[in-house]
Amino acid sequence: MSKAKRDRTAKARQIVEAQKAADRRRRVTLWTSVTVVLVLFVAGLVGYTVMAGRDEGELVTPASAVDESTAFAVGTGPVTVDIYEDFMCPICNNFEQSSGETLTRLAADGTITLRYHPVSILDRASNGTRYSTRSAAAAAAAAEEGKFTEFHDVLFANQPEENSSGLSDEKLVELGKSVGLTSETFATAVDEGTYETWVTQATETFSKRDYNGTPTIVVDGERLTGPEDSVPTTELLTQTIEKAAG
Amino acid sequence: MTKEKAWPWISTAARAGLAAVWLIAGGLKVGDLAASARAVHAYQLMPYDVAKVVGAVQPFLEIALGVLLLIGLSTRLTAAISALLMTIFIAGIVSAWARGLQIDCGCFSSGGALAAGTDTRYGIDIVRDLGFLALSGILLWRPRTRFSLDGVLMGER
Repeated sequence: MSKAKRDRTAKARQIVEAQKAADRRRRVTLWTSVTVVLVLFVAGLVGYTVMAGRDEGELVTPASAVDESTAFAVGTGPVTVDIYEDFMCPICNNFEQSSGETLTRLAADGTITLRYHPVSILDRASNGTRYSTRSAAAAAAAAEEGKFTEFHDVLFANQPEENSSGLSDEKLVELGKSVGLTSETFATAVDEGTYETWVTQATETFSKRDYNGTPTIVVDGERLTGPEDSVPTTELLTQTIEKAAG
Repeated sequence: MTKEKAWPWISTAARAGLAAVWLIAGGLKVGDLAASARAVHAYQLMPYDVAKVVGAVQPFLEIALGVLLLIGLSTRLTAAISALLMTIFIAGIVSAWARGLQIDCGCFSSGGALAAGTDTRYGIDIVRDLGFLALSGILLWRPRTRFSLDGVLMGER
């Protein structure tokens, strides 16, 4: 074999090798890409299935709840004021401290219908004890005994720190007792979390109404905020209510 | 070390970093899909029922991407998808910022509306996401990495 021929053969072999390698790369790229797409599709599907199949437990709706069973009403005045609150939310507590009394008075003198919507959006802030859900469910139990406002106020007065474990069920029952919720029914409802599924549902309705944070204050169907999306002051709130009352 | 030898190592670091980003981001959200839905909804870009699906699917996608990057399967494609998602996230944050929404980006948490008086931190969030976009860019440009399934399948040593 001449040197020239040997060179040619070597070159040909190189070309074939290179083609084989390129083929392999193409094949590997194709199949890995297909695999990646499949894996991501399945992952998405898992997420969807988990969401759709979330076990929500038995729904017990408090009979005293109004407005698609999401709220507890105080007073019967012509102007409706809706307050969406999470018992773990410090800003809600501030709002209650500053405007709570005024609202209670306006409800008592027949100017407004005050509707409290307990929601649970801060469950993550209580070390896994889901204080937002538990406290809202307890408030529903209190409402069933006609003592929503009393229990609501005592919950805010005893609000736990965010990212603490929240108040225990025993403590919730104890606070209930302090405002006259002495029945066995109330204690059992708190212990068993009877209204927890209802809280989840009410929170869903809150989201469906395109509200995101707490407190959300709505006067006659119109969301009320201060400048830059802040919580309205008592003054602004009173003015808005007076205007709505005409 | 020459440049050609350094790149696979740089890309490997980028791959590991991006994998960690996705695993952490997804892991922090996967436990509370309802909160994840609310975080998506807080951007006010879609009705709640759509946000619910996006909020449920997203953490699982993030975890899957993290795993795929970790094992190094089809690195260029997973980097491209990462870059696409980061771009969408950045666009979302910019739009929330532009509209003056007071929200947490929900990038590494359940997000949602901010408590009153808390400052938004859109600038930092965008810069951070740009950093992650850069990691994806490195991998798109130089997808060859060490310790990857791609390498094994391609017959590289």
